[in-house]
Amino acid sequence: MKWVTWEQVGVDRMACAWLIKNYLDPQAEFLFVPVGAKPLPQGAEPFDIPGVRLSHHRGHATFHTMLRAYDLSDPTLERIARLVDEADVVQEVALEPAAPGLDLICRGIRLISPDDWVALQRGGLIYDALYAQLHAETSEG
Amino acid sequence: MEQAQGRLWVLLVYKVPREPTSSRAYVWRKLKKLGAQLIHDAVWVLPATAWTREQLQWLSVEISELGGEALLWESRLTLNGQEESLVKLFQARVDTVYQEILDELEREEADLIALSRKYQQVRAQDYFQSPLGTLVRTRLLIARGGYDA
Repeated sequence: MKWVTWEQVGVDRMACAWLIKNYLDPQAEFLFVPVGAKPLPQGAEPFDIPGVRLSHHRGHATFHTMLRAYDLSDPTLERIARLVDEADVVQEVALEPAAPGLDLICRGIRLISPDDWVALQRGGLIYDALYAQLHAETSEG
Repeated sequence: MEQAQGRLWVLLVYKVPREPTSSRAYVWRKLKKLGAQLIHDAVWVLPATAWTREQLQWLSVEISELGGEALLWESRLTLNGQEESLVKLFQARVDTVYQEILDELEREEADLIALSRKYQQVRAQDYFQSPLGTLVRTRLLIARGGYDA
């Protein structure tokens, strides 16, 4: 199916796209619209756009919302959700020292990518790596 | 932020229901954490950057979820000198914290872990790159001792 979000993807949208590709819709096709564009294209599920279903809720970033919306329960995904929350939105409590670094790297990926599709693809590698390492830590414990 | 026309600022005007008081405190603390300035108890202001715009957009959505209303604006100051005063207001606030860190560093038993955290937090609110921030960074590295000292 088709998924739509604002262009110039960052830490949260890269995480969401990675989640969509790996857990929800391997054939996912992504569309990008300019920030604030209305109306949104028909027939595509919008994500990480203010006011839509799959968006920030109750102080959490969209990745967290998507875990809840699709009943994905996995301690490693929860941990990534916490990281993305802290990387993407100002939080009163910070527990993940890697969060500001994750934000920087994702911004850098967008800067060196010719377009948002390539940025999402490259961002996917970051989240594969993050998942693998966090998962390994959890298993060791 | 084109110089000819002056800097762009993002302005937030909002209202949340009186109860529960936790909602009001939540929004207020978020704005403080962003380093926003409350002008005349009426309007919250931040310099417009891609990041501040996005943060305030999300906060506006959160305010509606809390049953409140928020208006988010972008604007420029039109009177001579006002922009400079506003920039100074932002600088003064971070400089106060930077100075606190410098004073603490003078003490014998300065808590370097707490002070470096305090530095990181204030740096995130330092929208105009205060020279004092660079000094704090250097002093923290020196205080750490070891090879680069």
